[in-house]
Amino acid sequence: MKITYNWLKEYINFEESPQQLADKLTDAGFEVEELYPLIQPFSRVVVGKVEQVDKHPDADKLTVCMVSDGTETYQVICGAPNVTSGQIVPFAKVGAELPAGFKIKKAKIRGVVSYGMICSKEELGIEAKSEGIWSFSESYEPGKDVYQILNSNADYVFDFFITPNRADCLSLIGIAREVAAITGNPFKYKDIDFGEDSGNSVDNFIKIHIQDTEGCPRYAARVIRDITITDSPEWMQARLSAIGIRPINNIVDITNYVLMELGQPLHAFDLAEIGGNEINVRTSEKNEKFTTLDDKERVLPENTVMICDGNRSVAIGGIMGGQNSEVSGSTTDILLESAYFNPEYINRSSKKLGLNSEASQRFERGTDPNGVLRALDRAASLMVDLAGATVVKGVADDYPQPFFPGQIEFESWRINRLLGTDFSSEFISETLQRLGLTVENSIATIPTFRVDLKIEVDLAEELGRLVNYANLPTKEVTEITYEAPPSTTEKRLNLVRDAMLGLNLREAFSSSMLKSSEAKLFQQKDLVSILNPISDDMTTMRPSLLAGLLRAISFNINRSTSDIQLFEIGRVFKSFNNSLPDQPHYLAMVLSGNRQPEAWNSTSQPIDFYDIKGYLESFCSKIALDNFQFILYDKSGYYSKDETVSLLVNNKEIGLCGRLKPEVCQYFDIEQPVYAFEIDLDAISELTNFERQYQAVSRFPFSMRDLAFVLDESIPAGDILEAIRKNAGNLLQDLNVFDVFRGESLPAGKKSVAIRMRFQSLDRTLSDKEVDTIFRKIIKLIEKQFDATLRT
Amino acid sequence: MLDKIQRIKEKFESEIKQVQDLPQLEAVRIKFLGRKGSISNTFAMLSEVPKEIKPQFGQGLNQLKKFAEGRYEALKKQFDKPKVDTPVLDLSLSGRKPSIGGKHPLLAVADEIKSIFSSLGFAIEDGPEIETDFYNFEALNIPKSHPARDMQDTLYITEDIVLRTHTSPVQIRVMEQQAPPIRMIAPGRVYRRDTPDASHSPFFHQVEGLMVDEGVSFADLKGIIAAFAHRMFGKDIDVRFRPSFFPFTEPSAEYDFSCVFCRGKGCNVCKGTGWMEISGSGMVHPNVFKSVGIDNEKYTGYAFGMGIDRIAMLKYGINDIRLFFENDLRFLNQF
Repeated sequence: MKITYNWLKEYINFEESPQQLADKLTDAGFEVEELYPLIQPFSRVVVGKVEQVDKHPDADKLTVCMVSDGTETYQVICGAPNVTSGQIVPFAKVGAELPAGFKIKKAKIRGVVSYGMICSKEELGIEAKSEGIWSFSESYEPGKDVYQILNSNADYVFDFFITPNRADCLSLIGIAREVAAITGNPFKYKDIDFGEDSGNSVDNFIKIHIQDTEGCPRYAARVIRDITITDSPEWMQARLSAIGIRPINNIVDITNYVLMELGQPLHAFDLAEIGGNEINVRTSEKNEKFTTLDDKERVLPENTVMICDGNRSVAIGGIMGGQNSEVSGSTTDILLESAYFNPEYINRSSKKLGLNSEASQRFERGTDPNGVLRALDRAASLMVDLAGATVVKGVADDYPQPFFPGQIEFESWRINRLLGTDFSSEFISETLQRLGLTVENSIATIPTFRVDLKIEVDLAEELGRLVNYANLPTKEVTEITYEAPPSTTEKRLNLVRDAMLGLNLREAFSSSMLKSSEAKLFQQKDLVSILNPISDDMTTMRPSLLAGLLRAISFNINRSTSDIQLFEIGRVFKSFNNSLPDQPHYLAMVLSGNRQPEAWNSTSQPIDFYDIKGYLESFCSKIALDNFQFILYDKSGYYSKDETVSLLVNNKEIGLCGRLKPEVCQYFDIEQPVYAFEIDLDAISELTNFERQYQAVSRFPFSMRDLAFVLDESIPAGDILEAIRKNAGNLLQDLNVFDVFRGESLPAGKKSVAIRMRFQSLDRTLSDKEVDTIFRKIIKLIEKQFDATLRT
Repeated sequence: MLDKIQRIKEKFESEIKQVQDLPQLEAVRIKFLGRKGSISNTFAMLSEVPKEIKPQFGQGLNQLKKFAEGRYEALKKQFDKPKVDTPVLDLSLSGRKPSIGGKHPLLAVADEIKSIFSSLGFAIEDGPEIETDFYNFEALNIPKSHPARDMQDTLYITEDIVLRTHTSPVQIRVMEQQAPPIRMIAPGRVYRRDTPDASHSPFFHQVEGLMVDEGVSFADLKGIIAAFAHRMFGKDIDVRFRPSFFPFTEPSAEYDFSCVFCRGKGCNVCKGTGWMEISGSGMVHPNVFKSVGIDNEKYTGYAFGMGIDRIAMLKYGINDIRLFFENDLRFLNQF
């Protein structure tokens, strides 16, 4: 919300410079987001008089003007349609520098030379957007410097961030009250003084009846007649422009001015359009439609407060007026509304309608029900002054259940306990009274404009911010008296992450929102999608971490890095089971490209299945996951069937490992093979405690035995190892395949698998005989079980 | 008979001339000087040699053997010597580099924050990213019609299920489960309906902090934030608290750190103010205590938040939040 320094000074006296004031208000909770001089400096722009306007000989939309600066006359080309002879205008001479850094030069436009420019308000930085040149309504003396004139009373604009609890400070008067509390200087309202037309009573024109007093607890109006609609005076236009409101005409400008000054929204109806001399306030019916003054027909949400005349609806209460009763150029009499609406009603309706106005913003935060009449009278008095209006005697005001100031009982010791202070009760009372509260016997009476003050802690904050948070004590953290219990989730996730980092992998971190087509590559049903997505690229919660990792691979390949090893830990979103979607933690890893970059002493080799499986095996061993087992993956999914295994623990599938389907990779524009694994970490947490006991290491020598079997190609080597492991007894310490051979020396369809075994005992040196016995048993078993022959 | 010695000698000479390396030399040695080599074999024939030429034959054979052994030794010496043309190690060539892994910079900063708070006695908690309206709003004193809901543009899954807009719901979950004293932080991902640009991402990362005990005051809050600032950015960092508004705290405060780049002097990054806005904090609102059944006459507490992304950007001088989530290896490999 914007206000200006000089405007504020009309309500309260203070010594602070603009910057000092900004600092003090920021410290009190009114963050000044911007502070800037109202008039941005410009030079060599003088008051000019347009003496003659001729058509440009060679361009329809341009004119050739003669502009005088009092001593000389200049030829100037102008493009604005509103330029006429006799106007007093801001004239930028050759060499002038305008606020946006724009420099005026002598220029030839379609064959005619132009010595300068007639400026618009926009070009002088007075308005964000304006049409046509600025024709001064005051008769300034030609030749005078325009910047000097405009800046004669240098003003500054403050742009505040007002927190939603402080509806009262969405107004000049609210800020003035805060300045009063901070500085201790009194603030005062503007005097309101106008004569009413005693001949006629408002009751003859309008009767107000509130049917829904919950939605609209108060509705007041005045009848104002014989208005002349015209531009409002320069000073009012300048003020409104300064705070970002576009001047329209005197009536609209006055309602806006009072809104910004007092924070009370007003609405003007064309009295001629109000039928039956009555206003009824009710709530909307189901599927009721209404056309607002922006010409849009809207379907009203239920329980929307509607303002109606004797026959029809004329406005959506507190949100927007209707087209049917709008003030127009021919309006002479108006009904001026000033009301108080229930914040919850306005909030709900404005959200559902998608209509957010200066009025609705204030009503939904809570205006002052007892400030309604002041705003009405202030606007009426301005209309008398600026629109030649006559104000009909009296106010029509329906206010069945008046709001009274609330009371908060407080205990000084509790406030001190919360703030860590030891203020006296007297100090607390005095400080709170600076805000316009009255305090007696530890009871604070709260004016109705302070809708945010409800309980004791609210008073503690008021006290704290007036004292200034910087002046409140700070308790240094010296010793830890409280021990944090270990969090198991955190600990487990850290172990998993450390294991992956220990494998020299790079950690990725990616978006959890996907395109729906991306998500569907990984899961077809039960996807968790967003009702109100930001864009089509972010509609669905990731069912797999691989989407993000594939994006990362693609991103890097496009930037000429194609050897990629990444892992990521994060939540994935599976489906609705209970009240919330399933959102387990997962670990995923991808490998693509070459195992290592090509170098002078090594050739690069493409990654294959055994790389990813090796990573997974090392990971499992690192996190002390025992009893895991791989089985062939036989489902259709996003992994290639013939190059993928499932990871089972206690016969429960907790992960997959293998090659991703080429068509999945191609979706991400990846042509090279991608190998991946992913693991459900929440499931794994139930299966391992990530902790391991020390296993004794033997101090006796070991015996090694190699053997090779010739067997059918179709028999997995893993089955043989499994069989050996099961039958060899506990002297077998280690077992691995060290060679797999196929070739001419073997019959077709056969392969040779060479296995190395290491035997060792914890308590003795093994004899050859002992080992040979086991060895022979294994040979017999394998030959029989797998129809294999020992290769010699 | 004597010409046999001559023939062996010629053959030996022609073969030894061809020898290029040790194995070839060895082969020649075996062929001529070995136990079954032709010279040894010829010695075996000595008994069959007629008496008259026996001495001459023997002498000749001995000379041949000596000759052959001499040539063999000489050549062996030559081959045994280190080769003159062995290439010297070029130490300027690059070594075999193992691949470098490492933490994502954002998560490395999260680790740093976690370890600071752990050392200050805070437990680390976790909560779901998709939350009920109750945990994300209602229990935090933000009823449906509250204007504060507009402060956080929310992404919805259903009318009552949202992508959490802050890590504050973890406060509620922990207070429901545990009795005071409570000291915890909850780092994690949060979501807002923001269009991505250099300073906004629709998902970002926060750390929630909460302490509840008897006699916890605003002075403790000021103390803990200062302790964090000093451990994270250095002893010379100042902390500033400004009044603000959050429905779940009262009094509420925004807190700023003095600019970590200019150390408070004023620079481009802090727009000359010397301060950087960090996040919000305050004293737990009595309504929040009521919603989790903690006695607010007995206990008081403070809560604070902080943006991990923002702190990481400050720490590394990163000016575009989107860099964190692209996973560009040229970016990641710098950390």
